[in-house]
Amino acid sequence: MTVEPETSVSRRRLLSMIGMAAGSTAMYQAMHSLGFAAESTFQGSAPLSAAPKGASVLVLGAGMAGLVAAYELRNAGYRVQVLEYNARAGGRNWTLRGDDRYTELGGGTQECRFDQGLYINPGPWRLPYHHRGMLSYCKRLGVALEPFVQVNHNAYMHSHNAFGGKPQRLRTVKADYQGHVAELLSKATRSHALDADVTAEDQEILLESLRMWGALDKNYRFVKGSVSSERRGYDRDPGGGLSARPAFSEPETLSNLLHSGLWSVLQFGDAYDFQTTMFQPVGGMGKIGEAFGRELGPLIRYNAKIVEIRQDDTGVAATFEDLAAHSSRQTLRADWCVCTIPLSILGQIPMNVGGPMAQAIAAVPYCTGLKVGLQFKRRFWEEDEQIYGGVTYTDLPIGQISYPSSRYFDSDKGVLLGAYIWDQINSMDFTAMSPMERIAKTVEYGNQIHPQYTQEFDNGVSVAWHRAPFAMGCFGLWTDATRAQHYDNLCAFDGRIVLAGEHASYLPAWQEGAVTSALDAIGRLHQRALAAGAAA
Amino acid sequence: MSIQPRSARLLYSAIACCLGLTSTALIEAPALANTAGILNPAPFDTTDGQQIYEHVCRGCHMQDAGGAVGAGHYPALAKNSALASRQYMALTILMGRRNMPAFGASHAIGFGGPPAVLSEAQIAAVINYVRSHFGNHYKDQISAAEVKALDQSAH
Repeated sequence: MTVEPETSVSRRRLLSMIGMAAGSTAMYQAMHSLGFAAESTFQGSAPLSAAPKGASVLVLGAGMAGLVAAYELRNAGYRVQVLEYNARAGGRNWTLRGDDRYTELGGGTQECRFDQGLYINPGPWRLPYHHRGMLSYCKRLGVALEPFVQVNHNAYMHSHNAFGGKPQRLRTVKADYQGHVAELLSKATRSHALDADVTAEDQEILLESLRMWGALDKNYRFVKGSVSSERRGYDRDPGGGLSARPAFSEPETLSNLLHSGLWSVLQFGDAYDFQTTMFQPVGGMGKIGEAFGRELGPLIRYNAKIVEIRQDDTGVAATFEDLAAHSSRQTLRADWCVCTIPLSILGQIPMNVGGPMAQAIAAVPYCTGLKVGLQFKRRFWEEDEQIYGGVTYTDLPIGQISYPSSRYFDSDKGVLLGAYIWDQINSMDFTAMSPMERIAKTVEYGNQIHPQYTQEFDNGVSVAWHRAPFAMGCFGLWTDATRAQHYDNLCAFDGRIVLAGEHASYLPAWQEGAVTSALDAIGRLHQRALAAGAAA
Repeated sequence: MSIQPRSARLLYSAIACCLGLTSTALIEAPALANTAGILNPAPFDTTDGQQIYEHVCRGCHMQDAGGAVGAGHYPALAKNSALASRQYMALTILMGRRNMPAFGASHAIGFGGPPAVLSEAQIAAVINYVRSHFGNHYKDQISAAEVKALDQSAH
């Protein structure tokens, strides 16, 4: 019988009963509870042993999870069929380039007018060095990688109501914050406030390390001079000849720094997921999905909208509409099913699974992330401001500006990421706008940081993930409480169906979560298939 | 929209619980130093139902409240008979439903910042707006106090 997903009302009720604490505000607390600090479980690419003769698998969705599952299962000898809603492989692994056309829910259609070779990644855009599954598939599929610049000391930190709205270089904020903290801690040490905690010998070492860490002078003070300017930069850089005597820069006061709030975005590059070195595929993240698409060729059936998934004792059948042919419904059947459809959509598709999996599917709302790509007539961030890659953080609704990590010093046009919004209020607000309104707003806000915007803006494109017809959301939003109650049930086999995707991982939003979840799922599928084959 | 029996029971018992309850004053949080840095978006504090619809709900339910269809769908709110129950609508907004995020302070989930929370007054305002626009002509109104009572009864 069909078990429909339980509605959120009782789901939420249960959650509150087990003490869910919603509404955490701290970035790192959120990242931790959402699993962002978790490590990849990728164990290398040992292939599955040979499939039982004639065994078949239906893979639903050709995003990273579906593609990895199909690739490995095919290589093991399974008969594999993939059904995909879009007319391309990759899912959220996707790059928008010139001449691409994208229609979002609500009908807003955009023609991307970027120049040849320029692009924006509406979804994932960077690969941490420890996401070994993703890096491994790039290597196996011949997808070239290049460094992605996450941390740029010359990019900005910006608050519209601090420092007169003037953007501050990450370099100076970091140096000043560190310098003041080191000075305070050395004061506490030298006034014997730490005597109970630190031995006299250790205090000597601590003081010397604070001097180094904070760029303090010989008296443990963080003051204008050669030592601090070597961290925060100079008013006039040292050079050669008669005209080149350096002018030291004046540190900001601790109080100004604290009240600016800019300290809150200093730590991004220190997070495990954003540490150097990061990578990106040359030519766009979508190169990975495209390579998988070529590799799997006719195994993928595109333009297939799944309308029903039904299992019985001997197999799984998926019924779909062919969107390209406007034909009547068709059904494909196989022994097993790896379903990678985002929960935002899967929760609406009739599927006969038991209560635990159905409730898990209904328990995960999706993040409302959004990106805007802007093409400018010249790379003014490089030419005028010496910003080569990296990210500017701002308290304006656009959230971030990221500069391209490729084609540096190119004298033609350039595309940057003009907005990357994932705080819920602003991303909902931007999602509710038309694509053109989003772009106009992004230019208007960005102009407060880069006044060149008005003059140099050429064109833009925007993707609001809740309006993406194939995803209807950015990624699954788990909490500690929903994980405790539903995660294992979401990942466990239900009959002949197993789910995979970033939503079935402790690496939400990261492609590595999709990869490791797919490998975990097909490993379990293979064991079952072998057992069933032996019994037959 | 359809409600499965078990959940419907919970929903309606929640509605029944709070009928007749009167308003309790909203408790304001004390003012604190800004310790959220620049990750805290400006508060969204309008209580104009149309404004709330256009800045929050319209993203998925669309300009004409007609919803949308892709690989899945967003339900239309225009001429939607499920809106006959203002309490049903309030609980759905407070607690979320599948892909729809929760907007109640005790249920909303944030990511890298505070969640999108609507106050009881904002929820009441947007419900009254939607139920009297887009081809909906419901005469009864919901109050902030009723939303608050529903929220408490659902815990």
